[in-house]
Amino acid sequence: MAASNNILAKEHTIAKPGYNRWLVPPAALAIHLSIGMAYGFSVFWLPLSQAIGINQRVECPDMTFFQEMVTKTCDWRISTLGWMFTLFFVFLGSSAAVFGHWLEREGPRKAGVVAAFCWGGGFLISAFGVYIHQIWLMWLGSGIIGGCGLGLGYISPVSTLIKWFPDRRGMATGMAIMGFGGGAMIGSPLADMLMKHFVTPTSVGVWETFVTMGVLYFIAMICGAFAYRVPAPNWKPEGWTAPVETKAMITKRHVHLNEAHKTPQFWLLWAILTLNVSAGIGVIGMASPMLQEVFAGKLIGIAKAFNDLAPDEKAKIATIAAGFTGLLSLFNIAGRIFWASLSDFIGRKTTYFIFFALGMILYAYVPTAGQQGQIAVFVGIFCVILTMYGGGFSTIPAYLADMFGTQFVGAIHGRILTAWSTAGILGPVLVNYIRDYQLAQHVPKAQVYNTTMYVLASLLVVGFVCNLLVRPVDERHFMTEEELAAERKRSHDIADDALEDTEKALRGE
Amino acid sequence: MHDGSRKTTAQDGQWVMVIIAWTLVGIPLAWGVYRTFLGALKLFH
Repeated sequence: MAASNNILAKEHTIAKPGYNRWLVPPAALAIHLSIGMAYGFSVFWLPLSQAIGINQRVECPDMTFFQEMVTKTCDWRISTLGWMFTLFFVFLGSSAAVFGHWLEREGPRKAGVVAAFCWGGGFLISAFGVYIHQIWLMWLGSGIIGGCGLGLGYISPVSTLIKWFPDRRGMATGMAIMGFGGGAMIGSPLADMLMKHFVTPTSVGVWETFVTMGVLYFIAMICGAFAYRVPAPNWKPEGWTAPVETKAMITKRHVHLNEAHKTPQFWLLWAILTLNVSAGIGVIGMASPMLQEVFAGKLIGIAKAFNDLAPDEKAKIATIAAGFTGLLSLFNIAGRIFWASLSDFIGRKTTYFIFFALGMILYAYVPTAGQQGQIAVFVGIFCVILTMYGGGFSTIPAYLADMFGTQFVGAIHGRILTAWSTAGILGPVLVNYIRDYQLAQHVPKAQVYNTTMYVLASLLVVGFVCNLLVRPVDERHFMTEEELAAERKRSHDIADDALEDTEKALRGE
Repeated sequence: MHDGSRKTTAQDGQWVMVIIAWTLVGIPLAWGVYRTFLGALKLFH
């Protein structure tokens, strides 16, 4: 059988002997930095909310949700635009779960190329939606099609990186997932600059920005996808030998994707991710308003409650709160690489124990720090919490590889990401419900957050128990050597022809 | 001897590629981090 001529085929991505594995993380970063812009989409909401009126919103107060979807004469509400985030995270989780197995079979390059078409193409469809002022086209383009690109792009490098870095699984996936956290740091200011460049008396400059960014992201992702290489079967880093002693929590065998969800470990890890992310999302949503409402005038050196502040004083503390949000973003990405790398030394289970135990203490201490006016402590606590939120995402692929082996880790990670979609709904709903309930009970604004923090801390208690219950996977769930060999053959991992061609080339035949 | 020097040259070339690849992703990331850091400084003013 001749090797496939398809340049996207997995056998064409097998690295030649001597290939430098440090070329793979930048490829993964190119993709993750591009799709990470999903976090930064709120930069478009304000200009889009006056896309018709340009300098002032054209309000239509009686407009229903469905009328808003097709209106060409009224401006969109920011709350309606915000639905984009729900679509992003629902389709990210769903597509990662559905297409994970396909990715393992077809390889990271093909998945990366499809992700580039979905994410870049989604921007172009959204640009057309903005141009003709149809919000449903934006939701279809960036939300649904782009959301599928997010899912595929997110999981595309995971199993490849774990195979290239068997000695540093956590650090390797941490580098890529750090990129997802950093994407908005590049995308948001870039979008802001582009919108200022494209703005005219008849356009807020958003559709032109979408076109430019769509093309840029497409190019970056295609470059990343074509730079992907998978290691040859049984490849090992030079001078590295697999540890001889067996660690109970790190398997050397492999669980099939279709078997993984039948294990309690899968659902415990699913719950761990859901609880860690729900608490994190809840706290991210509260951080900025909490700082402003709890400390109020203290932030600018005056003793006034939030409701007593003058508009210009509120503007000043809003600027300070924006700085706080920026600081949290930095700690979010720093935590992704820090905790994932640390987990290579202290183990994944211990790392999650720290997230939950330290998290519980810090979440529960936030109300006290607020009441005692300890601004620096309050800010410090949130920064540490954000590192653990990011660390939860970046450490989970290595935890999965330890429990289920590396053969299907990308696909299993894809299915675990449905936890993210769940948390994306659970976290904000929980926080908003508790807040509304307390306001209805006439609880003072500065104290409204206290109960919420205790509820979020209790989520972490449950997470701690789930992590405690994680044990090595039962023997009966692992594939036999024959099943593994057959699966690798099906997945083109043993691309006989391609390897033979490479060897011939090296021999000069 | 000859094979050894050819291998060394190929590996050196790969390290040059590694530096280029990391620079290409590192520059925009560093720019984004710098911009965010400038924003975060407002907290301390």
